[in-house]
Amino acid sequence: MSTTTFDPAALEQLQQQKSGRPWRKKPARFTASVTLAVVIPALLVAALFLTSDIPVPILLVVIYLPLQLIASGIAAWATKGTRGIADSVIIVNAIGASLFSIVVLVSVIGSLVVRGLRALSPHFLFQNSVYISPSTPLDYGGIGHSLVGTLLIVFIASLISVPIGIATAVYITEVRGRAVPYVRFFVQAMSGVPSVVAGLFILTIVVATGAFNQSAFAGGLAYAILMLPTVARTAEEVLKLVPDDLRTGALALGSTRARTVLRVVIPAARTGIITAVILGVARVIGETAPLLLAAGNNDQTVLNPFGSPISSVPTYIFNNVALPYPDAVARAWGSALVLIILVAILFTLARVLGRGRVGR
Amino acid sequence: MADVSQMGRRDLQSAATSHRGDRVFTRTVAGAAFTSLAVLAGIALFLGFQAIPAFQSQGLSFITTTGWDINTNPPTVGIFGMLYGSVLLAFVGLVIAVPASILLAIFMVFISPPRLSKILTNLIDLMAAIPSVILGLWAFYILNPTAEEWQVLLNKYLGWIPIFENTSGNFLGTPFIAGFVLAIMMIPIITAVTREVLSRTPPDLINASEALGCSLWTMLRYVALPYGRGGVVGGIMLGLGRALGETIAVFFVLKLVYETNWDKIIESGGGSVATLIVSRFGEVSGPSELQLLLAAGFFLFIMTLVVNVIANLIVSRTGRLQK
Repeated sequence: MSTTTFDPAALEQLQQQKSGRPWRKKPARFTASVTLAVVIPALLVAALFLTSDIPVPILLVVIYLPLQLIASGIAAWATKGTRGIADSVIIVNAIGASLFSIVVLVSVIGSLVVRGLRALSPHFLFQNSVYISPSTPLDYGGIGHSLVGTLLIVFIASLISVPIGIATAVYITEVRGRAVPYVRFFVQAMSGVPSVVAGLFILTIVVATGAFNQSAFAGGLAYAILMLPTVARTAEEVLKLVPDDLRTGALALGSTRARTVLRVVIPAARTGIITAVILGVARVIGETAPLLLAAGNNDQTVLNPFGSPISSVPTYIFNNVALPYPDAVARAWGSALVLIILVAILFTLARVLGRGRVGR
Repeated sequence: MADVSQMGRRDLQSAATSHRGDRVFTRTVAGAAFTSLAVLAGIALFLGFQAIPAFQSQGLSFITTTGWDINTNPPTVGIFGMLYGSVLLAFVGLVIAVPASILLAIFMVFISPPRLSKILTNLIDLMAAIPSVILGLWAFYILNPTAEEWQVLLNKYLGWIPIFENTSGNFLGTPFIAGFVLAIMMIPIITAVTREVLSRTPPDLINASEALGCSLWTMLRYVALPYGRGGVVGGIMLGLGRALGETIAVFFVLKLVYETNWDKIIESGGGSVATLIVSRFGEVSGPSELQLLLAAGFFLFIMTLVVNVIANLIVSRTGRLQK
């Protein structure tokens, strides 16, 4: 009986088939059918594209996708039998979904670079827009005032939201009071507040009551509402990573609870907390609606955080997008490129710092 | 003094907090921890308070009718079309984003080689980081002409289906385009949550299903997807919350009309509460109109709060089951 004899070679073959890397050592028949299943529909559709004038969306959705599904189905059936067909449908659609997302992303980033570079120049970053009308050529004017405004607003928002966010995280991980689940719940609920509602809220309490104008301070308050949940949740994750030995060690040395947190736990999590702040800033820096409502707009460089309306990069983009002047639109693309570069720098910083923490 | 060895953890904790500085510290931290509650309550109270006069002048018709006529006295205003429009846009977005995100997550967890999934994860994170004003700019100049072409084709070949009717011949500013932009914003959120729960499927279950002869599809159908269902639903709700509150990107691609567009998704014109607020705010005629906008903001807040709370409850419950 074959079942009684132990055949190491057969076992090895079985293990190879079920190994964690099933793409290694494919049989020739598999490679051939997959290649055919990929090449034939692509060639057919390419031929149709060149010879007929069927619109591209129809070509892709109505002809290529079903063709690819059928071809992959046949290939799967040839190599794995009928159960392979459902798998091939999933795989083809999953690859399609991934390609779709990549195409969208490349289109967004690519268009930013292609259309934004024209406006970029040193004076675009440093000059403000006084005396600049939408039809002024790109040789003059820039977004210096908006960059200053964004920095000021983000700085004010950080001043408010970072201490509160860290305190919230400290309450959850260090104080561990009875209300921890509720605090967590409210922080999560707060992260869902639409940005326009945050702007309206600040508008009602700060601007409409007459306490302040539309200003960097009001904009910073609105940003702080949006930043707080991100800072609190990231800081919570980070404080959880601080080893308990440090806490008990500090307490055993006679340190008070407050001193333990302020002198031991938070310094130990320093890089992580910086990451939390950076992520919070990256989360809000492109928000437009709250600033339209709470910070207003201005062509001049404003340094006073309380007095007057102030410009920011997102509101600058917003005001220039739909203008019927090519140079104004080019300015919008240019400042969008600057904004996405800022966001990318922030995320890279957060990632690099985060990696350092894990590596230690 | 009691024997130290008999002191429980709680006693040690109370011993540690008996210091006066510590009491101040604990109270300060606890106070700060409730800022989020204070802000939520503040938003509800302040906007709700402002909504009262709007309700007094408009009655229930404020949320059951559609229109924005500020010149009559009292102004006749209703935001039903806007509330409905927000839901319609989010629904169109979900129809596109949910299958795409789940397939994307399946691809990243079960199909692609690890190195490729890592790259894809970074790309999806990058997609989540694109500010909505930039997405609006892109949609206005790059997506609009392409989407117009798609919609003309949809109308030409599927126009007999009521939702693909278009009588005006104008294919810009449609709920479809706005929903598509919302889908691009939801895909990273839904994908991230789905990827997370799918990758937490216990490997034992996957190995067992493979040992029983499951193919990829049967494994997904009977093991991974049922296991991660709660998380996937929660992720979808989180995406929905984001879509309902989205303002700026929709502002650029949707033609805001003050009538209810029930189901004509490729007909120009639709509604969105968040966009209504921003677009009316620029030319607000006086305090009474501002009050109406604040009332609209109140309903937007309540709508997104409910969706988000449900989403978070679902996500946290699945998280607990898995631990």
